[in-house]
Amino acid sequence: MTGLDWGFASDLGDVSGAVAIVGIGDADYTKASGRTTQQIATQATERALDDAGLQPAAIDGLMYVPFSGDQLDAAAYHAHFGTTHPMWESTKGGGMVWAGSAPYDAALAIRSGQATYVLNTFSVAWATQRPQMVGGPGQVHAEDLYKQNLEVPFGWFPQPVYFATIARRHMHEFGTTPEQLGAIAVACRRHATLHPTAIMRHKPLSLDDYLRSPLIADPFRKEDCCLISDGGAAYIMTSLERARDLRQPIIAVLGVGVGNSRSGVYWSQQGAFTSTPQVFAAPSAFAMAGIGRHDVDVLACYDPFTIVSLMQIEDMGFCGKGDAGRFVEGDTLHYDSGKLPYNTHGGMLSHAYVLGIAHVVEIVRQLRHSAAAQVPDAQVGIYGGYTGPQASTLILGRR
Amino acid sequence: MHADFPLPDVTWEPTREFWAGAVRGQLMITRCDACHRHVWYPEPPCRHCGAAHLTWTPVSGRGTLFSWSVLHYAWIPQFTEQLPFVTGLVALQEDPAVRVVSYIVDCAPDALRGDMPVQVVFRPLRYPGVAGEVIAPLFAPVGK
Repeated sequence: MTGLDWGFASDLGDVSGAVAIVGIGDADYTKASGRTTQQIATQATERALDDAGLQPAAIDGLMYVPFSGDQLDAAAYHAHFGTTHPMWESTKGGGMVWAGSAPYDAALAIRSGQATYVLNTFSVAWATQRPQMVGGPGQVHAEDLYKQNLEVPFGWFPQPVYFATIARRHMHEFGTTPEQLGAIAVACRRHATLHPTAIMRHKPLSLDDYLRSPLIADPFRKEDCCLISDGGAAYIMTSLERARDLRQPIIAVLGVGVGNSRSGVYWSQQGAFTSTPQVFAAPSAFAMAGIGRHDVDVLACYDPFTIVSLMQIEDMGFCGKGDAGRFVEGDTLHYDSGKLPYNTHGGMLSHAYVLGIAHVVEIVRQLRHSAAAQVPDAQVGIYGGYTGPQASTLILGRR
Repeated sequence: MHADFPLPDVTWEPTREFWAGAVRGQLMITRCDACHRHVWYPEPPCRHCGAAHLTWTPVSGRGTLFSWSVLHYAWIPQFTEQLPFVTGLVALQEDPAVRVVSYIVDCAPDALRGDMPVQVVFRPLRYPGVAGEVIAPLFAPVGK
């Protein structure tokens, strides 16, 4: 498919400068831990409240996504904190694409007076649940009846196979190489080794190590694929006026964009097989923020597989379409020497597989200048969210 | 998950004719009654014109290898015995936007090339620990 007829940007009103992220909290990131998703989400929430200097009763807006176990809804929040006040609730929050678009919906709620302090959480316990799942996190795909009857019978399952197939096509169309995919895995692992909560912090990875690692779903090695983790995170949003009275540096939402594919929900049938809807999300977010690609100090993208990082980097316009392989070679993505510091906490490949919510927390930390692998004087940071047929771009700036 | 997983449920109505066609030696794909374009997966409405009705139609079974992966690891135990195997997407000659997911057979993995011509062959799918077999459309390089 050529041109831009395969998708579109959601029509979002201007929320630039309408909200700031004033509190962040990580739950413990672990392998199988026996915890429930609600326990994980409440731990992240307690830490975000502490980070913001807010009491539980201050939160009057909750965002989550009804996905992957019980998330932190109002009933669970009140039960945990012993609160009873009215709560604005939205299921357009959580991780993945919504970790990037939740600030838009929160901004509308705050602007219209429906909420004052909005909490967005996301948690998974897939490491704990994995033995009971068909194909691990592939379970949700195995349950889709079209996939169950037209894909799984032919071994095209689960997600590593979908994305290995995308990577192979990207190699065919653009000449992308294993070494270039490896450069992404190596940069993420290096950042993880510097990060105190990264699951892979004690396991350094060189490009030689990567290339020597066996192929599991050619062209993928294990290092091209995300971890399976228990964990989650939370962030709290409010107006810039209220943010000024709180304890943390003000990290403002400068732009939000959401992109959508018209090719349905099946990866096998995506019209633009080697692109992501960042093609549509990123331009609208940059337009809302009124900045350009050269203004970006640090980037974090939802990275289930190396190829998803590669495609989003080019689809967001940091290089030409098909050029991201050459772009990411060497140290481009490294926090200290690269021109586009990327997934500076290690991402889902090497920090934890919590579906993007930890990426937003990391970008906030970078802009507060309190990150482990700190990009010097970072002023503008971006999260790229992805779910397949949708993508989001969230642009944050230090005020 | 139905009892024969990862075999298909050949009685599931939306894809029943795909599997019934394979038994007859035909590759069946849905086509829009209104605009006559192929629509895949077989889920109305038509993604091109929005019409409500799709009709199963035989296609030539010729196409090109759009992309593939060579599996050296099994994410579910039923795939372990067939390792290594090649699974991928075939773009149909009638409309390359239709991509059929299938096994790529009768070809050494190193000899696979993007966009190489392939043709359908009908073979039984069997999985260890799963009763029975299902005739399925697989793809092999043209001339094999």
